[in-house]
Amino acid sequence: MNTIKKLDADPVISRRLLVAAQILALLAYGLGLLFLLRSTGGVTFVFSTLGPAIVGLCIVILVGVTIHRFLRSHSLFSYEIFQPGEIIFQEGEEGDCAYFIQSGEVEVIHVDNGREKIVASLTEGQYFGEIALITSHPRNATVRAVNATKLAVLGKKNFLTMLNLIPSARNDIMLTVTERAMKQTASR
Amino acid sequence: MGNGRIEKGDTDVRFRRLQAALVASVALLPLRLFAQHSGSQFQQDPVEQYGARALTVIIVTGILVVLYSLFRYRGRITGPISWAFLALGIAVLPVLTSGFGTVLVFERAERVEFCESCHLTMKAFVTDMKNPQSQSLAAVHYKNRYIPDDQCYVCHTSYGLFGTFQAKREGMHDVFVYYTHTFKLPIKLRHPYPNTDCLKCHAESAKWLGVHGDFKEDIFAGKTSCLDCHADANPPHTLAPTVERSSR
Repeated sequence: MNTIKKLDADPVISRRLLVAAQILALLAYGLGLLFLLRSTGGVTFVFSTLGPAIVGLCIVILVGVTIHRFLRSHSLFSYEIFQPGEIIFQEGEEGDCAYFIQSGEVEVIHVDNGREKIVASLTEGQYFGEIALITSHPRNATVRAVNATKLAVLGKKNFLTMLNLIPSARNDIMLTVTERAMKQTASR
Repeated sequence: MGNGRIEKGDTDVRFRRLQAALVASVALLPLRLFAQHSGSQFQQDPVEQYGARALTVIIVTGILVVLYSLFRYRGRITGPISWAFLALGIAVLPVLTSGFGTVLVFERAERVEFCESCHLTMKAFVTDMKNPQSQSLAAVHYKNRYIPDDQCYVCHTSYGLFGTFQAKREGMHDVFVYYTHTFKLPIKLRHPYPNTDCLKCHAESAKWLGVHGDFKEDIFAGKTSCLDCHADANPPHTLAPTVERSSR
């Protein structure tokens, strides 16, 4: 378990990969248009060789990201370790899992006019990342590890199933969500 | 604050105008592309006619879907709809583009204009073929419309599926050699010109039998080459020696 997983960057990487795939697809479409307008030997050669390669790459990216997202959102308590200063997730990213702190400490950060503002510190036994799963909105804050932190990661599907199956857990989490929302409103 | 809002509003308006212009220019592309292919009214190629239009519609739709998805979701998958837009834009429509495109590639690679596009090596031959004053075999066939279209391809492709495949394979090699400038002038045929490429049209026709009937078995067997006689009075391309001279 000493392997440091950097799955925290997954949503960002996935998004960048998908944007890259879209740009590649536009390139393939552009080659197609060029071929329709000018069917010279060179254009035909490039369209008929490079085009399918680009399309194949786009499909690989889409399938890869889709499978990865599925596995991640269905994960049942996988463990991740973050080093001091490592970002666990960024404000504005999509949320597909909640984090339960096994050891260590994290800080919750808001960026206001380019300035970081630490709004909370969370330690062992506490959890975070649940709001994005309940509201289906992007992450409303950035979370960073203060020291070496071990987290149990629960995928969105299993998190929501847990809320449905365990009323006490749901009540506790909804109370926490409300408190945090009020604290966040007050801090702004 | 007020000025800031006005500036932000102006930026939004400009961004929306840019988006609208982009979408309009992509959406109007089919008109430009459809207007391009106005061949002879007596020679309608259904593959070209419908294939090119289908490909145009697929490409334009694909570009619009990808642009919408990029502007709306910016690479995020927020649910089944955003995923469907992604899959449509970067997987389904590109696959269709490749499929229809391949059919059109095979179709368009047979055109005279396609051969002529390698102008450093081929243009002289095509120019000779299109020259009404030329008496070369290619020019005689062209100006009399003995071959209605794709004249280069018809005379330089052996009959049958394998001939077509061989021509495409060798053609790809030729394109590579041309664009990497690794060709040598004067260009030469890879293989001696086969009688079958003449016979696939001429064999057993009444006019041909009248002249060749007595020794047709030799011609069929390849013992006598068509070009043994015809290349003297009417060479396949009169400019071939010119190309050879100019390259020295």
